[in-house]
Amino acid sequence: MELNDSTLDHLRAVVDQPDLSGTRYELEGEIGRGGLGVVYAALDHQLQRRVAIKVLDSTLPALRLEEEARVIASLEHPAIVPIYETGTLPDGRVYYAMKLVAGQRLDRYLNAQVSLSERLRLVRTTGEALAFAHTRGVVHRDLKPQNVMVGSFGEVYVMDWGVEGVAGTPQFRAPEQAGAAPDHRSDIYALGALLQFLLPETAPWRLRAIAAKAMAADPEARYSSVPALLLDLQRFQDGLAVEACPETWWQQARRFAVRNQVLLLLLAAFVVVKFFLFFLHGL
Amino acid sequence: MDPDTAIGGLRDRFPSTRHSLFEAVAEAGTLPSDALDQLVALYWKPVYKYIRFKWRKDNEEAKDLTQGFFASALERDFFQRFDPAKASFRTYLRMALDRFAANEHAAANRQKRGGAVPFDTLDSASVEAEAVALADTDTPEAIFHREWQRQLFSLAVEDLRAHCEHSGKQLQFQLFAEYDLAEGERPGYVGLAQRHGISAASLNNHLAWSRRMLRTFLTGRLRGVTSGDRELRDEMRLLLGSQ
Repeated sequence: MELNDSTLDHLRAVVDQPDLSGTRYELEGEIGRGGLGVVYAALDHQLQRRVAIKVLDSTLPALRLEEEARVIASLEHPAIVPIYETGTLPDGRVYYAMKLVAGQRLDRYLNAQVSLSERLRLVRTTGEALAFAHTRGVVHRDLKPQNVMVGSFGEVYVMDWGVEGVAGTPQFRAPEQAGAAPDHRSDIYALGALLQFLLPETAPWRLRAIAAKAMAADPEARYSSVPALLLDLQRFQDGLAVEACPETWWQQARRFAVRNQVLLLLLAAFVVVKFFLFFLHGL
Repeated sequence: MDPDTAIGGLRDRFPSTRHSLFEAVAEAGTLPSDALDQLVALYWKPVYKYIRFKWRKDNEEAKDLTQGFFASALERDFFQRFDPAKASFRTYLRMALDRFAANEHAAANRQKRGGAVPFDTLDSASVEAEAVALADTDTPEAIFHREWQRQLFSLAVEDLRAHCEHSGKQLQFQLFAEYDLAEGERPGYVGLAQRHGISAASLNNHLAWSRRMLRTFLTGRLRGVTSGDRELRDEMRLLLGSQ
């Protein structure tokens, strides 16, 4: 049978569409394609609200996906998209229904003018979500700007929590992910890569050093945990020395001077006044 | 069936259980004949069209080169040398095809310069016209990709037809053919359901079943020519990705 172009396109569309009959959802349309499946907008008839439905690829074992979906659904954190329900379609594909986030993907959000402090806030919030997931034994496996959404109120959502078998995205993938199962250190690498991606060209070198440490090829040379990385970011923002780059005495002095400008000026003024007073008394 | 590409083109038979290409080669030490059948059934036409439009060969030359490519691939342990870590099998095959066609083209030109056998690379008028029509929009690589998609779906539709005939589900296939395979305007749901004496809801269920089965057969066909789950997943994405 020879299929013409329009029939072929029609078949490609309908064969991929999830059959949601028998569920409370009505399909609205495709939103995007992620690492492991396709995301659709749908209407939840029961609660009369719009939701996002992620349909996972059928080539992954359904039991494993269902288990993973349950684990991800248990992650309740302000920066993790809440999952409402998981289920299996008639064709065996696993899906989950989740909050439909109104906002922009992080990579598109950056098209507007975004300050350095705002960029660091995005990294910190993403890192907090990762750190929380790690305490529950969940590793993201595929953190990248396309998997972070910025909502209309500035809220940050980390999406597409990885399922076993995800290869990761080259620019954000830790070297060890090519041959071994990723662990929390792979997420630290990806968070470092995300930081590097977010930094403007004029970013201070100490921030670049933090990203570089998180992205060390040897997992042992990275930060020991996501909170350790976030702490270093906080140190930078507080004007303190960062773990990522040991400083010379001159650099320490310079940073101290910058951080304590007012105090040093007052001290200098005091010394000058004292000097003049001493001079006047001598007359 | 398209008479241009009848050789090795469409096959009705397919193995009930498909191993991945990699598994088949690993188990047998060579490419088993049923795996070869699957592979040729899927790739014959994309290879043929790619040769026609990239190397501007006429029908007979393209058929000969396609035949020669598969024969050469079998002789030279082409399938055993496939390394899934480096590229998908589809990419590997197309790159090998490029090398093969380039060598054949160069050999033919050498013969032509030597005056041994005249070698005419100019195509017939119809092929030229087809090539010109495609030139503005499609690269040979895009044509190869499109034909790969077309052939996979064609084979899966044939699988679905055979399955429906063997399992007494002729009505399901009939409805699928009238609605999803319609070449022009698709019939209305209500009218189609009435013509077959069923409710619109039943029609919907039958179509959903056929599409599910079609997806299953597509996956099976692809599994037969990929090296494992990861490549299969990537290829499915490419097959069904943005239109």
